[in-house]
Amino acid sequence: MDAIPLTRNFLVNNQLRWHGMTTGIIERPRFLCALGGALSTLNALPGAVPIIHASSGCGGNIYQAYNGGAGYLGSGYCGGLALPSSNVYEEEIVFGGENRLAEQIANTLKVVDGELYFVVTGCMTEMIGDDARAVASRFRDQGLPVLVADTGGFRGNSYQGYDIILQTLFRDFVARTSCQENKTLNLWGIVPGQDVFWKGNLQSLKTLLGNLGYQVNTFFGEGETLANLQNAARATLNIVVSDTYGIGAAKVFAEVHGVPYISVPLPIGPTATGQFLRTVGATLEIASKFVERLIRIEEDRYYSYYERLADIYNDIDLQRYAIVLGDANYAPALARFLADDLGWLPELAVVTDILDEHDRELVRQRFQDFQSGIQPRVVFDSNASRVAGYLNEYWLRNRGQRYYDALSPAFVLGSIYDRDLAETLGAAHLSVTFPVTNRIVLDRSYAGYSGGLRLTEDILSVLVAGR
Amino acid sequence: MDYIKQKTPPVREDRLRACNAFGGTCCDLVGASRSGCLYGLKRAFAQTYTCQLGLSLAILNTLRDAVIIIHGPIGCGGSNIANAGLAKNLQRLRDPRARGLIWLSTNLTEIDAIRGGEDKLKEAIWYAEREFRPRAIIIVNSCVPALIGDDIDGLVEGLQKEVSATIVPVHCPGFKAKIMASAYDAVYHGALRNLVKAPAYYDRVLPDDLEELKEKYSRSRTVNLLNVSSMSRQDELELTRLLQALDLKVNLLPCYAHPDSFEDATEAALSVSICPTHDDYFIGHLQAKYGIPFILRTIPLGIKHTSAWLLDIARFFGLEKEAQQLIAEETRQLQEALAPYRQVLQGKRAFIGGGEIRVGATAALLQELGMEVLGLRIYHYDHFADEIYDELNGKETMVVNVATSQPFEQANLLAKLKPDIYLGHVGLNGWAAKQGIPVCPVYGVNNLYMGYAGMFEIARRLVRILKNPSFNRNLAAHTRLPYFAKWYQENPFAYIDNNVLTGNK
Repeated sequence: MDAIPLTRNFLVNNQLRWHGMTTGIIERPRFLCALGGALSTLNALPGAVPIIHASSGCGGNIYQAYNGGAGYLGSGYCGGLALPSSNVYEEEIVFGGENRLAEQIANTLKVVDGELYFVVTGCMTEMIGDDARAVASRFRDQGLPVLVADTGGFRGNSYQGYDIILQTLFRDFVARTSCQENKTLNLWGIVPGQDVFWKGNLQSLKTLLGNLGYQVNTFFGEGETLANLQNAARATLNIVVSDTYGIGAAKVFAEVHGVPYISVPLPIGPTATGQFLRTVGATLEIASKFVERLIRIEEDRYYSYYERLADIYNDIDLQRYAIVLGDANYAPALARFLADDLGWLPELAVVTDILDEHDRELVRQRFQDFQSGIQPRVVFDSNASRVAGYLNEYWLRNRGQRYYDALSPAFVLGSIYDRDLAETLGAAHLSVTFPVTNRIVLDRSYAGYSGGLRLTEDILSVLVAGR
Repeated sequence: MDYIKQKTPPVREDRLRACNAFGGTCCDLVGASRSGCLYGLKRAFAQTYTCQLGLSLAILNTLRDAVIIIHGPIGCGGSNIANAGLAKNLQRLRDPRARGLIWLSTNLTEIDAIRGGEDKLKEAIWYAEREFRPRAIIIVNSCVPALIGDDIDGLVEGLQKEVSATIVPVHCPGFKAKIMASAYDAVYHGALRNLVKAPAYYDRVLPDDLEELKEKYSRSRTVNLLNVSSMSRQDELELTRLLQALDLKVNLLPCYAHPDSFEDATEAALSVSICPTHDDYFIGHLQAKYGIPFILRTIPLGIKHTSAWLLDIARFFGLEKEAQQLIAEETRQLQEALAPYRQVLQGKRAFIGGGEIRVGATAALLQELGMEVLGLRIYHYDHFADEIYDELNGKETMVVNVATSQPFEQANLLAKLKPDIYLGHVGLNGWAAKQGIPVCPVYGVNNLYMGYAGMFEIARRLVRILKNPSFNRNLAAHTRLPYFAKWYQENPFAYIDNNVLTGNK
């Protein structure tokens, strides 16, 4: 397996500028390192046991971040402080850590019960040139299920870690086959942990496509097994629910197994989900009458609930200006939902990822075709405190005038970091994008039709909480 | 003690010969420690824990009016993400205007690892200064810059003249320390070099002898009370209440302190630790450099240890008789209140996990409540805990496992010992829960544990938790730990490497 080309990330770091300042440094990042994404991904994979080849603190640090940041994700089967780790120290840094890794793998196989063991590396072991691949392959050659990927933290952020793990799985674990099942799809692009609602979202989309008559592998969702993953090359199409996450893996899948992919945005609410079904339907050449019928049934159900909002929404005027902050999946998806389904005014959308210009353009496009005609201003910035500055540029401050068109009433839909912004603006706030530390999230989903209902409940509940 | 001329402090395994890999009885542990034969630091199978950088942040994140710069790849210090919301609320219990936790990552990439990260660090310092104007900018140095040799102190020396915030480098690269508690020394080292200094005084224009006498008296009655980030505001208030009852004034630091509190620290009459593991480096230096004596013995948990802690302090101020009186009255009231709880707790079998001092004192506390302590798990062990552990009842049979996390050893022990209740540390409680054991966290940042009032709260909490253990019992019925069944048949300490030649490396 080749790691993701590093240059892409580096160019971004060196070229992006905000008011003359490079964005190399980040104030309160909303993601971790490649190892972080790799571990949150592996912990979501049923039967997988990660083996970290790194300093002692990497695993514990990443666990704390995702447990708290992803709505109390927990340790899971073999995550958290149970993560097997070589815990290299100064001696290994000086003399090399390969022997320690071999010992750790051998003993993990004795103590920890897993179906698949996956060695992931940290910065230090990569910097000293440990050949984790060679060590792991000694076990693999004996027929033991041991995979390996270079996930040193400095290779990129969590999203790249996710992509690296998927690439490795697709290359080294998914069985090559000539047998195609034309009613089977694979779906990814929703990053466990970074998407706090990942498991619910995967389940919603699986159910939705199930209604079109398809069996969907999501690898990380409910009821998934490693066997499904191993047989994933039988699928007829890969659906990447993202413009930017898991795209590298989709290319690897296409190259190794010949299964094509489409990239679609995360659908939240009826407008986006209708479009999602139409896109997938068209790609799979499903009769449009069939797709439209499904959409009608789902919309009828959706509006049978929304009908109840006719009273309260209009009795107390629940329309709001909104500021949306989130990653490349969530920022456009939330803004579109607010504009097209909830009838709100998302004025500013902050995309908090590190993206190159190509990916930025893809994400920008997603803000351009809102059915309501609303067009939020879109900025790309990973620094948590910068948002107030953008607002000042965009929405004129009150300069003492008696009649002032304020950005009010307003709602901040972002992460826990953005509670401060909401406080400053006197706006309401709900955490939905990573990190979410003030909510417990289990199977809640914001994707699809039912996801739109959940999000409506959560947002509007904030506004009636004082009643 | 004088290490502060060095840029970086020594790690605990070198300075204190601390150990984090041991299994045996409490008696064996103390015996080995006292004879200098406790050196285990190695396992042939290991699980992750936290590095000294992560633990350094536990203290540094609490400081008010400070910005933290994590100098490393983007993931380092990611645990801050989980504390972003909480830190602000906890800071605001001390100062309603506190800004909360602000941190920057220098986001070092592989290219930076080759050409050096100093430029990015400089940029981060300027960003912090310009955007937030903090009193202190704290640089937390991680593995990558330590390995490539970024000259942080040199850079800071040059930049400090241009920046109004006090810049505090904290050297805590994870790979350097096996003993996580080295973090405390790293933090205090940075504070001692940059924040602790005698405040400047100016002569009064109009002399006022009475006022000067008052100030002098006030200083002679002020103690530095060194808190820990794992204690709550309620804990602080309980200890302050006890010291105020002896007419002492309290300067609380380092946690949730304003950086200026470190200057005040040089004026106190006495430094009082509530945890030798946490503070010996700091108060040793305060004594060496500023002549401030200290008390460093135990943690005020339970009647015995709270009273001993209080008496030590009172003795220093010549208030032993007054303290005895206070202790007698506090104990009388507490014992009376505890009576109904004792009935429930009598004979209940407990297992405790956490830091060496807290675990030892909590064991004594549970024994005071009439409970039986089956076993202890402690993050690391050094001579500071010898007295506490030597005084525990039943030490001949009590199992002790020295391990930084390592939940696989815990799972094996708990399966064998089957305690009625487990008192443990964040990150390990969930694993005990999955074995169906009722769990009481051994500390809490929102709950009272310390002093006399704390003992009552602990008793009340234990009884409440034991009243309905359904949640964990159900969990055990529907989940499993990730270890093979045969692991539970093995010696829980099978992977501890005690080889004298390799084990102490």
